[in-house]
Amino acid sequence: MNQRETIELLARSEDQISPGISACVGCNVELTLRTCMQVMGPNTIFAIPPGCMGGVGVVGWDKQSGAKIPVFFPLLDNPASMLAGIKMHYDRIGEDVNVVAFAGDGASVDCGFQALSGAAERGDKIIYICYDNEGYMNTGYQRSGSTTKGAWTSTTPVSKDGRGGKKQNKKDMPMIMAMHDLPYMATMSPAFIPDMVTKLEKAKAVKSGLVYLHVYNPCVTGWGFKSDESIELCRLSVETNYAPLFEVENGKFTLNRSLDNPKPLADFIKRFKKFRHLGDEEIAALQELCDSKAERLKNLASL
Amino acid sequence: MSKVQVMNGNMAAAIGAAMCRPDIIAAYPITPQTPIVEYLADFVIDGKLDASVSEVESELSAMSVVTGASLAGSRVFTASASQGLSLMYEPYFRASTLRLPVVMAVANREMISPQTLWGGPQDTLSVRDAGWLQIYCEDNQEILDTMIMAFRLAEDKNVLLPINVCFDGFYLSHMAERVEIPEQEDVDAFVPKYVPEHIKLDPKKPMAVDPLTNGYLLAEYRLKHMMAQQNALKLIDEIDEEYEKKFGRSYGGAIEEYKCEDADYIIVTMGSMTGVAKDRVDAARAAGKKVGLVKVRIVRPFPGDKIANALKNCKAFGVVDRNVSFGWNTGIIYEEVCAAMFRNNLLIPNVPFIAGLGGEDVTGEHFDYAIDTVIAQEGNADKHYTVWLNREDKGI
Amino acid sequence: MKYVSDYIVPIGPEGLKIVNTGAWRTRYPVMDTEKCVKCGMCFMYCPVRAIIRKEDGSYEITFDYCKGCGICARECRVKAIAMENVKEGDE
Repeated sequence: MNQRETIELLARSEDQISPGISACVGCNVELTLRTCMQVMGPNTIFAIPPGCMGGVGVVGWDKQSGAKIPVFFPLLDNPASMLAGIKMHYDRIGEDVNVVAFAGDGASVDCGFQALSGAAERGDKIIYICYDNEGYMNTGYQRSGSTTKGAWTSTTPVSKDGRGGKKQNKKDMPMIMAMHDLPYMATMSPAFIPDMVTKLEKAKAVKSGLVYLHVYNPCVTGWGFKSDESIELCRLSVETNYAPLFEVENGKFTLNRSLDNPKPLADFIKRFKKFRHLGDEEIAALQELCDSKAERLKNLASL
Repeated sequence: MSKVQVMNGNMAAAIGAAMCRPDIIAAYPITPQTPIVEYLADFVIDGKLDASVSEVESELSAMSVVTGASLAGSRVFTASASQGLSLMYEPYFRASTLRLPVVMAVANREMISPQTLWGGPQDTLSVRDAGWLQIYCEDNQEILDTMIMAFRLAEDKNVLLPINVCFDGFYLSHMAERVEIPEQEDVDAFVPKYVPEHIKLDPKKPMAVDPLTNGYLLAEYRLKHMMAQQNALKLIDEIDEEYEKKFGRSYGGAIEEYKCEDADYIIVTMGSMTGVAKDRVDAARAAGKKVGLVKVRIVRPFPGDKIANALKNCKAFGVVDRNVSFGWNTGIIYEEVCAAMFRNNLLIPNVPFIAGLGGEDVTGEHFDYAIDTVIAQEGNADKHYTVWLNREDKGI
Repeated sequence: MKYVSDYIVPIGPEGLKIVNTGAWRTRYPVMDTEKCVKCGMCFMYCPVRAIIRKEDGSYEITFDYCKGCGICARECRVKAIAMENVKEGDE
């Protein structure tokens, strides 16, 4: 889907989320959520587990809803299996309903991983969207399994002389999910909306198992940058190959954007307060990891 | 004409559940409940049961799948025990606070540590305040019959609560007995189709489930939940009566009173130990001791007034618990009974007993000793100690 | 007991919960329609969907929910949108 078609589709389809939700100013997860649910459309039931989007009122308050379509608040550790039960019901009565999770990285790569992996293995026909902002942002940015190595978080603090930060590499969730032999796995970025919409449409068409969509969402508040840079930094995460856009359909890897001639990762890393303490050596190590992962992805896509 | 078959408690639970035609089943294997899942999978593959089964990767997902399915409108069933139930705790509590009539069989098993896998209701009793209904069975026929009554009770418009049908692991789960299987059409008539009106995830009628809720409103939901529990207490007696009319078997509803009318001394029991206890009550009667027995069937809601009424004229009573209440130094049912007595202004001498932990046998000798201890307690209203029946020194 | 809810469970069927996010704004976008090339980037990237596309294919910024993030101004390739400070007394 090209940009003109994407804009056409978005202009024609209804926003399914309350117009006023209390996401931070410039939050690109809010943009991601609205876009995803707009494409999913009214014939959808979706889950917002604990996390930013739960915290900002997408499930609602008291007797009011945060969305126009059925929405519920699963537990942090069970979005995939609760959705699986819902989907089983609609399959039994022969109704085709999109059953969608919109979950943060904490709910996906950490706490809810077992339920997600189980649902993926069983082929439960749900669409699982993970918005990866690299930590538990809604509780004030604690590190998650998805936090980049070296990053400051409230649980991996940095001393005045620059020691500290997260000690381990980021869990490579898209690759882990791809290895579940899913009918469809894709990465997305709010800087590349036409690509995102295309992938969401593909996800809706899958009837044979679980779809996993991973969105990389730099966080204005937690990572420390200006609200108007929100999309630019999403774009940079893709252009540096740090969050490459690719998809895996029934085992076949496809790059949605060339990985050749990436911008230096330092251009991305140096934009955030959470990486401010990193020295050249640490950034070089991140660059090396990024390069090797890009190389692996290229090889997989060439198969 | 109903069929008669020899079967273990797990099969009785599986058949009882299957006869209520659950739409969606999700369960994870754990000893001693595992055969329930296997039997149900067999029923489905053999075409005897039209249900969708999810072979989940954990108990947490078992409870999550059935709560999701129930939220969408399905009738659901699951089963677990012990550690599995503990792993479920998060979605378990929630199934009740979302008022989802999930029916769950539990082959009761002792809690770790130490490593153990034998029977005892410590698992379900430890979560008795999570908002579920909990019924405990004495034998395999009762398991099958209770399963059918459980769907009716859970899905009743004045109740709408999940329910545990509990039975002692191994003593019942793996022991074979004669069980009558009712006719399917009679069960169909007894358990009408489940049509949720109070909560449903459906694109045709959008609603949010579980918005962030203020304390005042939360308290109101809790109050309604508590009232539903009390409604269940009335309803269990009515359903039991109706069941007797239709199927010819009654369990007394919330409690069973055995030779209590003129009893001076009463033993309170629960679960599979009740059979041997009744036998020793008979023996005591034959020896001229006026002994009776109260079997607690439902623990949540707790039939406090009924129990107090059954005990009000006795001179002393004892409660035999196959579980412990840490912090009280007694069993859990004992404390519940004491609370019921206090609320009914009854101060009667009593003895708390603990027996059969970790699946140990609770024997006739244990009950003989318990009965004599209760008789000796007459007149000692302010003397309190716990008797451990399986210890040589009785732990007094 | 007097109830404040008709329901027995925590459900939200009574319309949308809408936060007045327009009140958060400290800056607001101003579009120069002369410069605008109607590419739709601002529309596509606005996280609150405060920018709408009109029948004639042009775009309009609405202010009920605009939080003033400035993404539209930053992403506009022809610099047709400028951010201005909200002054005291502004609606």
